[in-house]
Amino acid sequence: MPGTEPEPHAHSQSLRWRLLRAVFATALLVWGLNAVLSYTQARHEAEELMDGHLAQAARLLLALVRDNESHLEDLATRLASVRSQEKHRYESPLEFQVGRADGSLLLRSAHAPAKSLAAAPGYDDVSHAGHPWRVLTIASTSGDYRVQVAQSIDLRDRTALEVARRTVLPIALISPALLLLLYYSVRRALKPLDELAADVASRSPENLRPLAQNAAPLEARPLVSALNRLFGRLDDTLSNERRFTADAAHELRTPLAVVRIQAQVAQLSRNADDRQHALQQILLGADRATRVLEQLLRLARLDPLAGLPHPAEVDLAELAERVLSDARLAAADRCIVLERSDDRLLISGDAELLAIALRNLLDNALRYTPPATTIRIIAARQDGEMTLGVIDDGPGVPPTELPRLVERFYRGSAARAEGSGLGLAIAQRVAELHAARFELENLPGGGFAARLRWPRPPAA
Amino acid sequence: MRILLVEDDPLLGDGIRAGLKLADYAVDWVCDGEAARLALLDHAYQACVLDLGLPKRDGLWLLKDLRERGNQLPVLILTARDSSADKIAGLDAGADDYLTKPFDLFELQARLRALIRRAGGNATPRLEHAGVVLEPASKRVSRDGQPVTLSAREFALLRDLLSHKNHIRTRAQLEESLYAWGEETGSNTVEVYIHHLRKKLGAQFIRTVRGLGYRLGDPG
Repeated sequence: MPGTEPEPHAHSQSLRWRLLRAVFATALLVWGLNAVLSYTQARHEAEELMDGHLAQAARLLLALVRDNESHLEDLATRLASVRSQEKHRYESPLEFQVGRADGSLLLRSAHAPAKSLAAAPGYDDVSHAGHPWRVLTIASTSGDYRVQVAQSIDLRDRTALEVARRTVLPIALISPALLLLLYYSVRRALKPLDELAADVASRSPENLRPLAQNAAPLEARPLVSALNRLFGRLDDTLSNERRFTADAAHELRTPLAVVRIQAQVAQLSRNADDRQHALQQILLGADRATRVLEQLLRLARLDPLAGLPHPAEVDLAELAERVLSDARLAAADRCIVLERSDDRLLISGDAELLAIALRNLLDNALRYTPPATTIRIIAARQDGEMTLGVIDDGPGVPPTELPRLVERFYRGSAARAEGSGLGLAIAQRVAELHAARFELENLPGGGFAARLRWPRPPAA
Repeated sequence: MRILLVEDDPLLGDGIRAGLKLADYAVDWVCDGEAARLALLDHAYQACVLDLGLPKRDGLWLLKDLRERGNQLPVLILTARDSSADKIAGLDAGADDYLTKPFDLFELQARLRALIRRAGGNATPRLEHAGVVLEPASKRVSRDGQPVTLSAREFALLRDLLSHKNHIRTRAQLEESLYAWGEETGSNTVEVYIHHLRKKLGAQFIRTVRGLGYRLGDPG
């Protein structure tokens, strides 16, 4: 069954997945950038801070040695003893040298080299004993003393890394929770769509009531109202079809009843004439059922058309001529005349359908007027409008019945049995398909007119 | 037994009339509501078969009009409208029975027999008097258990008399019951058929009420 198997690209077409993917990707990208930036920023700031410590320590030493060389021996021991005490996490060991301007050393820390480090004044990175060091060299204002403070770059890096790691870690820890939150938010936001889909999916084919507009999210409302319009049209079509089927069944009942009862009469009749009569009536009943069926099918085919399938150029005058010659054979005893314009009356349409419409109008005139009535087939310009139709000088139609004539299966009070009750409905449908007006009217001087009229084309 | 048939379809009307005639009913057939209204005012019928979709006056209107005038005539509606709403409307308007097209002729005849029987206050399907039994459905007549052969008119006359037991039937009433419109009635045909029936069923079976008409004789 189609629809039950998951489509291969179902995920790529799912709004939820697309949304989730986009949101996740954006979130991860932003967090990644944030992490990288925070990391480098934190490292940089840590370096700056440690450089600051170097400077502070160097100046402190310089202040201690200036003009007072006497207690320097003592200072080295004191510093060493202080250093062995408990350390702060970010306190990295400082090595230092204090010397004179001529390069002789006055004082140095335990791990500092015995000779003066060859470093440029200010901050410099040098290598000593196979390890890189960060060195700050400052001189006293008098120029007599020089202080160098050094820090192991390995240690500095470890500290800076630690700071940066601690800055970035919370972001990394929180992001799964945020992703989860995003996932549920997207699901929640799209839930009305799921509900809408469930509502449509759970419907029975008969249920064409409109969907609730207000329950749908704003973005889905155009879809909902389009669906509702479709439901409306479907509902109209369905109820039309149902009515048509019911009407059709109704119309076929009477001829079938005729066939049945006359057949029983023929069976029961002892008299040969009665039997013959009943058999004749059966034939007439069958003919009528056939005619009703033909017209029904014709209408059923015309009904769903939105326009003419193959419009071509049709000469109405020539078409009327043809219908008349057919009719003369069938109704030789009736007075039928053709009123046609001399020039061609060209419209774009379907000649077969127009002939059916005209034949139906002619049939009605023949059927519902007394034998002496003159029937005129019109294919001419009347009041400047192209007109195709039938006019008779018979008794006309009671005004109250006029509007009901085009109703399907309606037969006027003067109706005889032979009609299908569909002839005018078909003619009207043909007129619609040809963008013509369908007019049924009693004429002021007596008589009845049934015409298709094409509005005058706008002056070119 | 005279029946009014109201049906606007010529082929169907013709068939029903022929079918009811085969059951020895006299059938008056009209094609529109107005003609039916006038016929019902002018004549006494034993039953009416009524189509609903009629020109001029609708069948339901006709039915309501009939009942408003207090007429108890049995009416069987015959129509192509088959929804229960239509049936309910028909029965509520005063119809006694309902048949949808297409239908079986025998069923129509049987339903009419039942309607006429019940209207005569008689629930049993047999009409009986003084040893004479008439079965309307099978059209069989017997006297003291012995089958009696009757012509169609004789049968119709006997059925009328048995349906109006204890009533005096005038010659005009019997004629009306026997003949539909357009059927020739001789000046003394009723007397002729009475004579035939007396010969077949016994001289005392039908009594003449002088100056009034006929009635069934006392049993025994």
